[in-house]
Amino acid sequence: MLKCKINGKEVEVPEGTSIIEAFKLSGQDIAHYCWHPGLSVAGVCRLCMVEIEGQPKLQIACNTQVQDGMVINNNSETVKDVVRWGLDFHLINHPLDCPICDQAGECGLQDQYMQFGKYTPEMAERKVKKRKVVDLGPTVVLDTERCILCSRCVRFTDEVSKTHELGIFNRGDRSEIGTFKDRPLDNKYSLNTVDICPVGALTSKDFRFRQRVWYLKTAESVCPGCSTGCNVNVYYNEEGLWRVRPRYNAEVNGHWMCDEGRDTYKFVNRKARLLEARVGHKDSWQSEAPGSAAKQAGVKLKEVLESEGPESVALVLTGQYTTEEYEAAIGLFQSELNSTLIYHWVNNPESFEDFDGLLLRGDKNPNTKGLLQALEQAGIDRPWQDLLDRLKAGSIKTLVVAGPENQSVFPDQLEKLEMFKEVENLIWLTAGPVEGLEHRAKPTWQIPLKTYIEKAGSFVNHQGLKQSFQVGTIVVSSALTLAEAVTLLAGQELELSAQDQILQQNRKKNFFTETRGAL
Amino acid sequence: MSGFQLSAEGVEFVKSELKRYETRLSAVIPCLYRVQKENQGWVSPESVSYLSQLMDIPEAHINEVLSFYTMFNREPVGRHHVQVCCNISCAMNGARELTEKICKELDVKEGEVSKDGKVTVTRVECLGSCGTAPMMQINDRYYENLTSDSALKIIRELK
Ligand code: SF4
Ligand code: SF4
Ligand code: FES
Ligand code: FES
Repeated sequence: MLKCKINGKEVEVPEGTSIIEAFKLSGQDIAHYCWHPGLSVAGVCRLCMVEIEGQPKLQIACNTQVQDGMVINNNSETVKDVVRWGLDFHLINHPLDCPICDQAGECGLQDQYMQFGKYTPEMAERKVKKRKVVDLGPTVVLDTERCILCSRCVRFTDEVSKTHELGIFNRGDRSEIGTFKDRPLDNKYSLNTVDICPVGALTSKDFRFRQRVWYLKTAESVCPGCSTGCNVNVYYNEEGLWRVRPRYNAEVNGHWMCDEGRDTYKFVNRKARLLEARVGHKDSWQSEAPGSAAKQAGVKLKEVLESEGPESVALVLTGQYTTEEYEAAIGLFQSELNSTLIYHWVNNPESFEDFDGLLLRGDKNPNTKGLLQALEQAGIDRPWQDLLDRLKAGSIKTLVVAGPENQSVFPDQLEKLEMFKEVENLIWLTAGPVEGLEHRAKPTWQIPLKTYIEKAGSFVNHQGLKQSFQVGTIVVSSALTLAEAVTLLAGQELELSAQDQILQQNRKKNFFTETRGAL
Repeated sequence: MSGFQLSAEGVEFVKSELKRYETRLSAVIPCLYRVQKENQGWVSPESVSYLSQLMDIPEAHINEVLSFYTMFNREPVGRHHVQVCCNISCAMNGARELTEKICKELDVKEGEVSKDGKVTVTRVECLGSCGTAPMMQINDRYYENLTSDSALKIIRELK
């Protein structure tokens, strides 16, 4: 360990630590643009200047290693003046775009300007005009005037995605980010460049101009997009979710996530949701409150059970629910309905084991491991074929399906519906409307469930890591969790306290009563 | 692969340059020069793709180097590339007027290829020969201590 002093505070750091890392470790602020903990050091923005006792010139903190006994500061007037000038140089050709820039509110230039702005600009030159609103690819828009040439995005495509699309072309004040022959920036991780761009040069096509970021709140969660389980922050307001961005976790996803995972907010929002239960069959459908529909379905289920015996009820589970929900649902099925006919619906068996070498996995469920563990614990191991045989024999009269909330990764859903066509009663639990279900000829219950962001629980990822998360926000308040739905199906009452808790949490998070920072 | 390819010696040159420096990226400049030489004086996008494959360096990074240095031409040039220095010493000795005269004599606009494909005239920054200003470079040769007469004579003698 090396000892050093940062702004008067004693800090101990391991050998090989850079000064900027030592600043972070000691919890002190330091201005910087080009340095990013997940990328190599470039040392190009010159904003991270520090003064080191005994050295005549200022040094950049990102590319200087701590040595034992170093006395470092970044709060002397010399350092502040240099940072002020550094920032002013970054702004020479920067357009006055803040009012129409999507980065406003989370922009590195704005943030640093609060502290290091010159406020009276000393630059009399005309600004160099460059390309704006460049369609960089399917997900990203580029504004070359706003770019401060920190090269983070270039290093990302070189070092992380290893797709090498981006480069800095031309020279001096004409330098700009681009791709060779204007080819599209098109890789499975492209939106990470938007996250790490400290300014509004790279913006997300999906998110830009949809919300001002200062009106959004953040909740921590785990991406349900695949079995990697990247840690994420979701950004939401009272209308629903607006974007998903990665949250650092060294063991799981580092600083990154894939583009596909960022779409996992879409099936959460009201537009894509089932807001009421649908009960009936193809000639007549009725809307019901989710809770009472589940109760009614439970009555039906019990009736059948009494006349046909426990082998007449089966449960199909997808890998899209929390471990706690599986345990509750499997437990209730066994204890209350006496049934062990519980099956695992695998959506894409051919590509289940795929892995792209970075994050993306072929198993497009967040909790396959959790489901398998819960089944094992309950001593249940039934092959899919067993279900098919029983369906064929007509012995199953009531089928409860915990369908996928992310339906886009279940290409076989229609096929499964066809398989379940002949079952007398079908109880389909899921967050969104299920295409094809409305044509079913026999009694059907579609009961809306909550999505991952609306409940607390945990997912077990591909490596067996159990990751817990809390309720982020509630989008459809009447929807049930899988555990609640199965409780009602089993003829039991819901404990009100659980719901109350959620409501209370929700009130606490109420948009306008949350404490705001000082102006 | 269609389009540009280096000669066998060119390929050998690239391979030896790649071994010569600490990092492979350092070989980009000499290799681009070689390409320019073998491609009628300019570096086409196709040749960047070709070089990228040959050197196993992403096209974007070769393009970074290519677009940084003005010594590489990214558009076709005439058989004779006349580069007139117009930096301080040369400018003070009439280089800018000289450039205009040369263009007029050749009936060509600055930076463009003459209709017969023979010449391109461009203004460039200091070529490091200030002591003999004004001066110009035609392909690989320097012509120094120019007067308008001597310059035009040289121009007229271009084949
Ligand atoms: S586009 Fe953004 S990340 Fe890329 S170099 Fe410019 S400022 Fe940096
Ligand atoms: S790799 Fe998987 S878990 Fe990570 S962001 Fe993408 S879909 Fe989500
Ligand atoms: S962060 Fe150190 S130079 Fe940019
Ligand atoms: S100014 Fe012309 S050679 Fe230097």
